[in-house]
Amino acid sequence: MKLRSSRVSATKIEAQMAPMIDVVFQLLIFFMLTLKIIPLEGDFNINMPLGQQATDSPDIDIPPIKVRLTANPDGTLAGVTMRQVSLGNDNLAFDRLNAEVGNLVGRRDNPFLDDLEVEIDADYNLHYRHVISAVSACTGYVNPQNGNVIRYVEKVKFAPPRRPGT
Amino acid sequence: MRYKKTASTVLEPDMTPMIDVVFQLIAFFMLVTNFEQTQADERVKLPSDQLARPPEAARDKVLVVNIGFNRNKQGEKTDPEAYIFEGDELIPVLDYGRRLLEEKRVAQALYGPEGNQEMTIEIRADSETPTGLIQELIKLSQENGFEKFSLRAKQLVK
Repeated sequence: MKLRSSRVSATKIEAQMAPMIDVVFQLLIFFMLTLKIIPLEGDFNINMPLGQQATDSPDIDIPPIKVRLTANPDGTLAGVTMRQVSLGNDNLAFDRLNAEVGNLVGRRDNPFLDDLEVEIDADYNLHYRHVISAVSACTGYVNPQNGNVIRYVEKVKFAPPRRPGT
Repeated sequence: MRYKKTASTVLEPDMTPMIDVVFQLIAFFMLVTNFEQTQADERVKLPSDQLARPPEAARDKVLVVNIGFNRNKQGEKTDPEAYIFEGDELIPVLDYGRRLLEEKRVAQALYGPEGNQEMTIEIRADSETPTGLIQELIKLSQENGFEKFSLRAKQLVK
C-alpha cells in the first residue's frame, strides 16, 4: 500500500498589527493629554464650633497658648509673640516658636496634653502662609531621623479677626 | 533580451520592541493619571509646609473653598482683592455667607439635620491671602453650623 503523504502547506496566519497599533497610540495620546501633575497636598485640622472663637470657654481649665502674629502694612511678618515673649520676625521665628511650644508641652506623658489648645491671633492683613507656619510650629515637628511627625498640640483655634479700624 | 526575475523583497520592520515600549508608556500613564474629581483650583498658590500631611482616611463630606487672586501668566496679581473661585465665578469672601447657607441646606437634605456639622470645610487659600479673610470665612461658616475646618497646604519635602 502506498501511503500518500498529504502535504498541507503551513499557512502562517499573520495577525493584523496595524489596527492594534492605531488603538494603542490613541490610548497613549489620551492618557498623555489627561495627565495632570498635582503636587501632594496635606492639611491641618481645626475644630471650631460656634462660640469658641470670640471668648475663652469657661469649661476649659487650661488657658490656651496664645500666639500673636503681627504684620507689616504689606502683609509680611512683623513679629511672632508667644505669651508676651517676642520670638522675632526672621526665618527662625517659627523654629523658636516650635521650641517654646515643645518646652511648654513637655514630655509626651503630660496629662494635660490632650486639653492643650493654641490660639492664633493674627493681624488682618498678614499673609496666610505665616499662619500656616505658625500652626505647623505649634502642632509638632518632623523627626529628622525617621521623618515621622511628632505631634505637640492637636487643638488649634483662631482669635476673632482684627478688622482694620476697630 | 531576457529580464531576470528577482523576488520582491518587502522590508518588514520588527514591531515588537516598539509595541513593548508603547505598552509600557500606556501602563505608566494609566497609573499616574488621577481621574478623581478634585475641586482644586490651579489659580490658588498654596503655602507649603513640612507638617502638612494628607489625612489618614479620606473625608467623604467635604466642601472645598478655593481662595485666591486673579493672576496673569507670569503669576503676578492683577487684582489686589482676594476672591473665592467657583468655576469662572469670583465671589468676594465677605459675600460667601449666602452660598454657605445653601450648602448647609444641601448638607442637611443629604445627611440629615446635623449634616452640616459633620461636613468639613476644606480651605485652599493662596499663600498671600490676608489672614483676616480666612477668619471671616471661618466665622461665616460657623454661623451656618459648620464646625470642622481643614487648612490645605502643599507638602514640603526636605
